[in-house]
Amino acid sequence: MNYIQLEKLGEGTYANVFKGRSRTTNEIVALKEIHLDAEEGTPSTAIREISLMKELKHTNIVRLHDVIHSETKLVLIFEFCEQDLKKYMDQHGDRGALEPKVVRSFMYQLLKGTAFCHENQVLHRDLKPQNLLINRKGELKLGDFGLARAFGVPVNTFSNEVVTLWYRAPDVLLGSRTYSTSIDVWSCGCIFAEMISGVPLFRGRDNQDQLLHIMRIIGTPTDEQFAKILKDSPEITIKQYPRYPKMNLAQLLPRAEPLAIDLLEKLLKFDPAERLSASEALLHPYFTSVANPAAYNPAPGAMGPPAYNFPHPHGHQAQQHIQQQQQQQQQQQQQQHIQQQMQYGRQPMMYPPQMPQQVPMPHQMQAANPRVHPQAMNPQPFNPGSNVPYPAPYPTR
Amino acid sequence: MPALPPLASLAQLENSPSTDDGLPAVLEEDLRAYGCKLIHQAGILLTQKQVAVAAAQILFQRFWYVSSMKHFGVGDIGMGALFLASKLEECPIRMRDLINVYDVLLQRAAHTIGPKADTPFKYHPMSYFGTAFYDLKESLVVAEMQILKRLGFNVHVVLPYGTLINYLQVLGLIKQENACTKAWGYLNDAFQTPVYALYQIPTIVCAAILLTIRHLNISLPSEAPNCWWELFDACWEDMWNVCGYIMRLYRERPEAEQKRVLGLVSKKDVRRWLEDNVPDK
Repeated sequence: MNYIQLEKLGEGTYANVFKGRSRTTNEIVALKEIHLDAEEGTPSTAIREISLMKELKHTNIVRLHDVIHSETKLVLIFEFCEQDLKKYMDQHGDRGALEPKVVRSFMYQLLKGTAFCHENQVLHRDLKPQNLLINRKGELKLGDFGLARAFGVPVNTFSNEVVTLWYRAPDVLLGSRTYSTSIDVWSCGCIFAEMISGVPLFRGRDNQDQLLHIMRIIGTPTDEQFAKILKDSPEITIKQYPRYPKMNLAQLLPRAEPLAIDLLEKLLKFDPAERLSASEALLHPYFTSVANPAAYNPAPGAMGPPAYNFPHPHGHQAQQHIQQQQQQQQQQQQQQHIQQQMQYGRQPMMYPPQMPQQVPMPHQMQAANPRVHPQAMNPQPFNPGSNVPYPAPYPTR
Repeated sequence: MPALPPLASLAQLENSPSTDDGLPAVLEEDLRAYGCKLIHQAGILLTQKQVAVAAAQILFQRFWYVSSMKHFGVGDIGMGALFLASKLEECPIRMRDLINVYDVLLQRAAHTIGPKADTPFKYHPMSYFGTAFYDLKESLVVAEMQILKRLGFNVHVVLPYGTLINYLQVLGLIKQENACTKAWGYLNDAFQTPVYALYQIPTIVCAAILLTIRHLNISLPSEAPNCWWELFDACWEDMWNVCGYIMRLYRERPEAEQKRVLGLVSKKDVRRWLEDNVPDK
C-alpha cells in the first residue's frame, strides 16, 4: 500500500479509522478500513460513501482521495482533519458553547457544504456534530456520507431510518419517505443551536419522545398545518399531540444575537415546505451583515499539536500514550458519573444518541460510547455566576 | 449524483471487450438480453421493487462495455447487479433468497435444452449447507465487487419513468391509457438492450413515445420546424437508433438461435463455445 498506517483514530460499527502518511508525498491522511463481509458483500454505506464523495469536491466537504480495493477489505483515503465538531466544542467551548464569531464561521461553512451537496443532488441524511470535521485552519468539513443518497426525479420513496435521532426532522419522525433537502436543513438548525448553547437542543429518547421535545420548543402545529403536511406526504401518520405553545427561542438561547435567533427560527420550521433552503440561509442577514462570515482564524496553539512530523520516529508513540491517558481519565470520570446517576435512580445519558433500533443494553453502551456529554458529567442545574437559564441537562417529562 | 449518468464511449461501442475476445456481436446482444430477462424474472419471483430491477439491468448493460463475457458469466453478473442495485435503491434482499431464485431459473433453463426437455420441469432445491450454495454465494460476492471495481463505483443510474409521465403530460397523451401502457412497456423492454448505457434518458423516452404513436396511429407535429421531440432536446437520428435497438428484440428468430443463449450463461460455457466456434482465437 502506498500509505503508512499510523495510530488508530476511531472505531465505528463497520470501519476502523487510522491516521496515515503517504509514502510518496508525506501527506497526512485518514485511512478508513472497511472489512468486506461474507454475509452481505460490500456494505451499502461504503458503496454510498464512495460513489457520492468521489464527485463532491468542495472546501467544506471532506475530500476522498483514493480507494484501495483488495480481496478482504476496502480502504478509503480521506483528507485528514484534526477533530470533529463535538470534540472541538468540548475542548474549546465554554461548557460546549462556542464564541459568536466561531459559531457564525462554522454555521456559514456548514451551510456552504450542505448547499453544495444539495446542488449536486445529494442528501447527506446524517448531519450531526460528530460528522462535521474541523481542521487546524478552522475549516469545517462535512464527513461520513454513509447514509447519503442521490436524489433526482422523484420516482422513489426513501428509507425512513435516517439521521441520528436528536437531529432528525419532525416530518421524518412522523414517517415521511418523500423527504428532500429540508431534512439536512433541520439538522443544520439543531447543530446551530447546539453550537450556541453547548448542549443539543432536542434530546428525545425515542421517536415519539423526540417529537414531543420538538413541539415543546417550537410549538405544536395547528390542525391546518398538520393537514397540509399530511397532504404533502400522505404516507405519514399523525396522532394526537398535546398543544404546546411556541417557546421564545431568544429566552432559551440568551447568548444568541437577534439575527441568529431569526435564522434559527427559519431553519427549524415544523413544516418542511416552510424551511429555508441551505443556499437561501446563506443569504440571511446573520451572514450578510458582516464583511466575511467565514472568517475565523483559530489562535495559534488552539487547535492542538501539529500533525505527525516526518521523520520524527517516536512521535506517534508519544501521542498514543497521551491518548491512552486521556481515555483512562475519561473512563474514570464516566464511572463516577454513572455511580452518581445510579444513586439518583436515573439512567445515565449517553452521547451520541443511537438510532432506537440499534440501542444496545446499558452495559454495552459503556463500551460502545466511551464519551459522556460534558453537561451530563458535571450536572450544574444552577450557575450563580450568570443568570443564564440553561435548558435542563436531562430530558424531563 | 451528476445529473447525467455515464455513457459508453464510441470506441467502447464499436469494439466491446467481448467482441475483442472473438464473440460475435449478435451473440453478445442475445446474451445481454437474456441476462436482463433473468434479472427481471428473478425480480418478479423475489417481489422486488421495479426501481431496483431496472437499476440492476442498467448496471448490467454498462458492465459489458468494460468487461468481456469470456471472463464473467451473464448469470453471475446479473445476480450481482440485482444484489447491488437492491442495496442502492434501499430495498436490500437476502443473499440466500437471490441465490435460490437464480438456481430455479437456471435449472429450468438447463432443463429446456437438456435431453429430457419434453418432460415437465421439476425443481430440485439445493441443500441448505451444500457446496452448491457456498459456491454461488462466493461468486455473488465476487460479481458485486467486480461490478463496483470495473465501473469505478459509478453506480448512479437515472430511471426513465418520471420523465415519461412528464413528457406524456406535455404531449397531452396522459389520459390515453393504451398509449401510457405501451410507452411504459417499451421503456421496460428497452432494458434488455444496451440503450441505457448509450443514450441519455430523454432520447430513450422520446423513442418509446415515437414507437407508441406509430403503433397506435396517433399524430403529433412532426414536420420541421415543429417537431414534438425537439421540445425534449432529442435528436431524430439517436431516437431512430434507439427504436431500432428496441424493435430488434421482437424480430422472428429460428428456435435454435433462441435457445442458444440458454447454454451460455456461465463464462465456462462461453469459453467452450469460443473454442468450438472461433478456431483462430
